[in-house]
Amino acid sequence: MKLTRSFRTRLFVGFLLASLLPLLLCSAMLLQIFRLQMEAQADSESDVQLIHVTTALDGLYDGFRQTSLALKASPYVAPALAQGQTDSSMVYSELYSATEGSRSSARFDLYDREGIWRYSTPRSPLSPQLSTQWGILYAARQSDGLVFSQVDGGESSSAPLFQAAAHITTTHGQDAGYLVITMTRSNFHQLLDGTYSSQNDLLLLDRYWRPVYASVASLSDTLAPLLREKLLEGEALYGEGDVYAYGTAFQEEMGLYAILQRPQALTQSTRGLLTTVTVGSALVCVVISIFMGLRLSRQMFYPIERLHSAIGEVAHNNLDVYVPPYRDDELGQLAQRFNGMLVALKHNQEQLVENQRELNQAQIRMLQAQLNPHFLCNTLDTMKWISKINQVPQVALMSTNLADILRFCISPEEFVPLRREVEILQRYIEIQKIRLSGAFSFHAEIPQELEDCLVPKMILQPIVENAILHGLEGVEDGHIQVQAEKVGSCVLNIVVTDNGKGLPSDMTGAYAHRSRELSRGHLGLYNVDTILRKYYGEDFGLYLSTGSQGRGAVVSATLPLRREEEAEC
Amino acid sequence: MTTRTIRGLVCLAVVWSLLLTGCTAGKRVSAASAYAPPEDQRLVVYTSHKEEVYQPIIKEFEERTGIWVELVVGGTNELLDRLTQEAEHPKADVMFGGGVDSLEAYGDCFTPYFCADWQQLSPSMRSESGLWTPFSALPVVLIYNATLVSPDRLTAWRDLFSPAWQGRIAFCDPNISGSSFTGLVTLLYAMGGNQDETLMDFAVSLDGRQLNRSGDVLTSVAGGTDLVGITLEETALKRVAAGDDIALVYPADGTSCVPDGCAIVKNARHLENAQLFLDFISGEDVQQRMEAEFSRRPVRTVSQEAEILLPLSDIPLLDYDISWASEHHNGILMSWAFYFGGEEQP
Repeated sequence: MKLTRSFRTRLFVGFLLASLLPLLLCSAMLLQIFRLQMEAQADSESDVQLIHVTTALDGLYDGFRQTSLALKASPYVAPALAQGQTDSSMVYSELYSATEGSRSSARFDLYDREGIWRYSTPRSPLSPQLSTQWGILYAARQSDGLVFSQVDGGESSSAPLFQAAAHITTTHGQDAGYLVITMTRSNFHQLLDGTYSSQNDLLLLDRYWRPVYASVASLSDTLAPLLREKLLEGEALYGEGDVYAYGTAFQEEMGLYAILQRPQALTQSTRGLLTTVTVGSALVCVVISIFMGLRLSRQMFYPIERLHSAIGEVAHNNLDVYVPPYRDDELGQLAQRFNGMLVALKHNQEQLVENQRELNQAQIRMLQAQLNPHFLCNTLDTMKWISKINQVPQVALMSTNLADILRFCISPEEFVPLRREVEILQRYIEIQKIRLSGAFSFHAEIPQELEDCLVPKMILQPIVENAILHGLEGVEDGHIQVQAEKVGSCVLNIVVTDNGKGLPSDMTGAYAHRSRELSRGHLGLYNVDTILRKYYGEDFGLYLSTGSQGRGAVVSATLPLRREEEAEC
Repeated sequence: MTTRTIRGLVCLAVVWSLLLTGCTAGKRVSAASAYAPPEDQRLVVYTSHKEEVYQPIIKEFEERTGIWVELVVGGTNELLDRLTQEAEHPKADVMFGGGVDSLEAYGDCFTPYFCADWQQLSPSMRSESGLWTPFSALPVVLIYNATLVSPDRLTAWRDLFSPAWQGRIAFCDPNISGSSFTGLVTLLYAMGGNQDETLMDFAVSLDGRQLNRSGDVLTSVAGGTDLVGITLEETALKRVAAGDDIALVYPADGTSCVPDGCAIVKNARHLENAQLFLDFISGEDVQQRMEAEFSRRPVRTVSQEAEILLPLSDIPLLDYDISWASEHHNGILMSWAFYFGGEEQP
């Protein structure tokens, strides 16, 4: 059924939209708010940890700076490096006192101006000679203070990762040597462990974002180049879907960037969980929408279905259907009105059947009247001849007239020209004149143009008979006149006037709507009126009135003006 | 509900979520980009050097100049092709690495620059047009498997044509390797005479075998698959230092010493920084370290000779003409393909 499908679908789509849209909107908003909050929290935590890291680095720098200042200012160190002849114990004593605070976090080496190792805090040199034209010593010579540089030391815990150097000059400004501070992986580990939480990882980058130290050694090779590339490309260090987020801080003096890698606040699994919940809710919405759609459509459709089947019954001509109103809503009212309509229809149909039955009865009577008419006609003809032979002209005339009337009556046509109707009426008048010994006169006045109008046959004879039998009874010099006239363009009015006793006052007016019983004695008029109304409708029929000087009766029959070979007007 | 209303609601939702995500993303970008160097402190370098060569040099350059170097690493020909493709809008500022004959061949991509110490460069190893600046000198050498071959059997280029080596010579396809091409041209120079005959004879000696990577030459000789090979001094020395069982021969009939170089890309965005870079790599501090650190020969006189390598003056050198080699680059390769491929080639 197309109606149900589209109706249900529309209901379903409506429900789906009404439930799913707010749900998705809500989910998206909640997800965003949730994410923003988590991120803000994670950001602030990471900032705190980064502050710890930079504080530790600041402390380290201060230690290094003080050491370098102390050694530069020392009266023994520069001459010892420049000339190489001072008592080395004094240099060591200076070195140890200067590195007091930071010896645990780095090793300190002193190189002479050729870059050859001379003294250090551990026993053995890191490397016996360093180039003064390259790398950290070159840089130190160009600068007054400490310079820092990243070293590719390898992955072992004792691998040197970061160096600082300062140029040491004699009091006369002569080139004396260099202080080189070296930090290993374990130094960094010792310094920074605990400044950040254990689920995070720390990466230290130099001024040019090359890796210095990573809490997990492999990050140096994998993550650092990636971050550098992103920085140079001007991209964000991490995006929405990345596993990790990165916080950054900068220790300016040492040129160290601290990058804290932390798992994204909203991990993939949380995201997945939220998505699952959203999808689950959406599915529930879909199911509820289907259920509600079906239920509501059924609720609406059940009464419609009953109406539908009731209409089907009516189409099969069963009018004894009743649709219970079910509920007092719009559909209930619809059912009630349907029921009312059905009652009216049924009443109408009964009326129709009644009319039909009456018509049928009239026809049956007519058929009965036609019983064996030929026999009667023949008999009348025979009577005509016998009376002619026996010289009884009245009988001959009567039987001739009677035979004509009889033939007219049994002819199959229902409608005849007015001319012919009047001819037969003349026959009847002749018979009646013989019967009543010419006690009345008859005059028919039909305009030429109306002679061929079609009228139901035998409608004038009962009216005239009524006038003769009731109107002219006992009246001398009686007169009956039949006139036809055209009223308007399409109504024919045939008026039968007599100068008899007139009508009882209760019989004047339109003849219509009188029962048969009341018309007893006037059955002819009743029949004519019925024929006219059945044929032409309620607008037509007989109209009875009293004559002009209070004498006699005027019976007029109105019927549509029709001619042979002419359609209804 | 009309379609329009639905569409409106959906749009609203999308805009809403975009707004929420947009704000945070913006914040993140700005936080990181604060550390990014300004445009005038950047340099984009395409390099075909190995990491152990470029890494210390780039690092020192960055620390001395404060310029951030962005590196793109790849094969020489690959990078040169890329430069040709990017000619309209070059990403690179400097091409670092590759034989100068290759750079010369792609001269359209580069713009001349005479580095600060141009006068100090060896006259035989500098570009008169300034198109490229040499980085290190790389003599072509012969190598042999020290176990399988006795030392006196391979002393010069002409020894390669001995039937004893037929099919056992490690030689990389000169179409692929620039150094192999230099080797082939050196061979032509050393043999003199008719070029086509030399190529044909050499093709016979190779017996239809070429290697696909220049590094394979060393591996093949060290492993004994091949007995002798043609490669660069630097590569061979590194493998010897790594303990491979190979020995070097500076051919008695002379060899070439074509430098690899560095050139500034035409329309470079960071031209000044690129010039600084060229000054730096040809400067004394880098050249000084060439021998000790990279097993390469400096392209200029340096104050302190490292004296690790056999002095260049003791190596018999041919009068190798770089511009002739790059001019005839395609012609030689075509002839070589013809003789090497035998009758199958058209």
